[in-house]
Amino acid sequence: MLEDHVSNKKSLFSAGVHTELREQKSRSISVFLAQGNLTGNARMESSGTSARVYQNGVYGFSSMAECSEEASETVLRAATENARFMDRHVGKGKGPLPFIPCGGIPLNRKLQDTDQKRYIEFAKELDAYITAKYPKLSSRSVIAMEDSMEKLICTSDGYDGHICAPRSYIYVFMNTETTSGTPIELFKAMGGSGTFIENFTDPVLLYPKIDTLYEQIMHKREGVYAEAGYKTVVLSGFMSGMLAHEAVGHTVEADLVLGGSVAGPALHQQVASEMVSLVDFAHTALGAPAPLPVYLDDEGTPAEDAVLIRDGILTGYMHSRESAQHFGARPQGNARAWAFSDEPLIRMRNTAVLPGKDKLEDIIASVDDGYYLINSSNGQADTTGEFMFGVNMGYEIKNGKLGRALLDTTISGVAFNMLKTVDMVSDTVEWTSSGYCGKKQPMPVGMGGPALRCKVMIGGR
Amino acid sequence: MADIKIISEKVKQALSDAGAQKAQHTVTEKEKHEFNVDGGQFSLFRTLFDRSLSITAYKDNKKGSAFINQFDDKAIEEAVKNCIKSAESGIADEAYDIAPKQENEVFRGGAYEPDVDLFFERTRELMRNIEERHPKILMEQMIVSHDKIHSFYQNTNGTEFEVFHGSYSVSLMFSAHEGDATTSFFGSGLSTDRLDRPFIELGSLEKDLADTEAQLATVPMEGKFEGTIVLTPSSLGEFLGSAVSNFVSDSVILEKTSIWLDKLDTQVADSRITVSFRPGDPRIVCGEKYTHDGFKSQDYDLIKDGVLKSFLLSLYVSNKSGFAPAKNTSFSVIIEGGDTPYEEMIKGIKKGLIIGRFSGGQPGINGDFSGVAKNSFLVEDGQIKGAVSETMINGNLAQLLNSLIAISRETVADGSSVLPYMAFDGVVISGK
Repeated sequence: MLEDHVSNKKSLFSAGVHTELREQKSRSISVFLAQGNLTGNARMESSGTSARVYQNGVYGFSSMAECSEEASETVLRAATENARFMDRHVGKGKGPLPFIPCGGIPLNRKLQDTDQKRYIEFAKELDAYITAKYPKLSSRSVIAMEDSMEKLICTSDGYDGHICAPRSYIYVFMNTETTSGTPIELFKAMGGSGTFIENFTDPVLLYPKIDTLYEQIMHKREGVYAEAGYKTVVLSGFMSGMLAHEAVGHTVEADLVLGGSVAGPALHQQVASEMVSLVDFAHTALGAPAPLPVYLDDEGTPAEDAVLIRDGILTGYMHSRESAQHFGARPQGNARAWAFSDEPLIRMRNTAVLPGKDKLEDIIASVDDGYYLINSSNGQADTTGEFMFGVNMGYEIKNGKLGRALLDTTISGVAFNMLKTVDMVSDTVEWTSSGYCGKKQPMPVGMGGPALRCKVMIGGR
Repeated sequence: MADIKIISEKVKQALSDAGAQKAQHTVTEKEKHEFNVDGGQFSLFRTLFDRSLSITAYKDNKKGSAFINQFDDKAIEEAVKNCIKSAESGIADEAYDIAPKQENEVFRGGAYEPDVDLFFERTRELMRNIEERHPKILMEQMIVSHDKIHSFYQNTNGTEFEVFHGSYSVSLMFSAHEGDATTSFFGSGLSTDRLDRPFIELGSLEKDLADTEAQLATVPMEGKFEGTIVLTPSSLGEFLGSAVSNFVSDSVILEKTSIWLDKLDTQVADSRITVSFRPGDPRIVCGEKYTHDGFKSQDYDLIKDGVLKSFLLSLYVSNKSGFAPAKNTSFSVIIEGGDTPYEEMIKGIKKGLIIGRFSGGQPGINGDFSGVAKNSFLVEDGQIKGAVSETMINGNLAQLLNSLIAISRETVADGSSVLPYMAFDGVVISGK
């Protein structure tokens, strides 16, 4: 765990400016087993100290790959100098950041280290299960990983804190060929917040999910291309979570609003059907711990939920302290940094569409001719709200019943148009948290949602 | 700064003491000076002092890796211990190896020390130029940085490579706005080791800004047809990246899922296509000097006159598959200009799109791609009609390489690649 070299440095903070001083240790462990070959077996650890100083509307930042009294003092001096350089040359003359009451958040948990051997043995056991049970696969890969961030945050005005956030996952990839010889692939991520040893006690517990993945890829072998066009679809909770994050979430990050996103002129407007509400949860969601809980951000703001869309109306943005000042809003703990050498940026935490009252089976039964889209390989969205998701698992719906599986396809639309077509919302939220959100820096995020019935453009062939 | 050669010797000794039979490690020190512009205004000046130690060790044909950024004796000892422990927990495989002894060499390149004042002035000039010449552009984010890297590589076969590199990079993310009209965002960037010219004259910055402003004028795109696509240098780079990943990279050769697995030395593309990886080309800024396995990097052709000449393999997958390893592990991709002026290329198109950016998933492993044509223009009867929105394209990467219409005479060199415009046929284009 980190030794504290920052909280005794407040006396060195310059008067009249906002200062953040942070020590951070990031760790990742990963094991890659491709076709039974150990292609990756690595441990990475990086730590260091950074300071950021806000002076009259500009920031100075500096970092060093060292955690010590001297490093804290050095980066404080350099960040202060950099802020002065910018203020001298740019001279925005802005006032101080919004007031945040002082307080402290104690260490929320300790990290347990897990021997590399356990990751390898776990992956080997899953690989052996897949090889023995599913000889029809042309290839398979198993990845076992854990990453964590531990931070000591000390601010001139705001909360201080010591936080630790590990997460761990197993990824299983399966490959085979369609009946016409076209190679196809599917994967499943399993895990979430917590260390590897906490999340993965017995490989046998993962077998049912692996069996489901195999069943899906076998359906996909017999799959057909979707018919291209503007179609009624049922998006799974996984897909609606992706929509919440990529197509809506990014457009309502206040820095992107200032950069010209579609959400700028849409505040307080109807952007979705009245059945749609969307929240960026901090640490607790729908009565349970959020997938990746955030208690304090790197600007010293205690984290609270940010309501973005309520009953179809765009109600607010996600903020840093600076953007909150610009928009006259309250910061809610969205300013987060990836590595010790990174400055905080406005980031999502656990972004989800809220559940409705419909049952998934009733939603599927209501569709005469459309598609049930279950899983996505990736997604991209624009600040205009135009989005594209690759769909790697889905089924036809014919007369209210699931039909043939789909081969890889793509859906696209414009979020604030497409969300207005939502007319059924399921009562269960499906969460995911295994990837990284990319925006200058990577960041672990959670995303989730219920199944939605809506209309989108689907690509065929 | 610490003497990284002394650190390297300590690591070498620790690895030997811990029983590593083969090993390689790199000690690196980095400095970054970076200016950020957000929402069109200067926001941040950032200076970073970082370092790293990356170790790979082999014991009894088992492999382990460790990465840290602390150089004190205790941290080094712990990292080496973890690395060996990882290896001991691993799976024995005779294919694990490092490069044989290479001639020791010191590489110097680029602008090693930053000229911070001139650099800041060039950045301010870029902001002024954009404001004056492209008033409809809203700069979401601009990141300009100087990165200085000093690294030292050693392996147990006696190879030593020392690298001193420094370069400036410019990365812009922007969109155009006029009244209620707004375009998709677009990213443009470049690397350079010189500050003797305004940034806006480098790479394709000026054209990218102008094209984005032109995308404010949209035309309806309805129906579905098979037509021509012109890939701009930046979208061409994205498509090539997907083709490399799907057809010639480590994972698809190891897992035998590449559709080019049996295509070495056979025709896989139009005979006018030559794709090279040339980190040593003078148009590439601070190109790779040695590979991840410890070979000195050499330029090579991936595809020569349409014939597949190499896979992009690590030494491990090379040993597993029997194919030669790649002569460099960079993506310093070069396709030289052809004989068709860009204007003529456009004039020759009956109906199709100029693709500025492709927003699509990773193509299927058979090469099928499907996604949205972003920052793209409709071309009809040789005329650019206007920008399109909500338009999808579908096709197949392998087939695309055999459906070439023309390669432009003009190329864009952005410091990382040199690429022309290329026109291909047979892509399905569908509007709403």
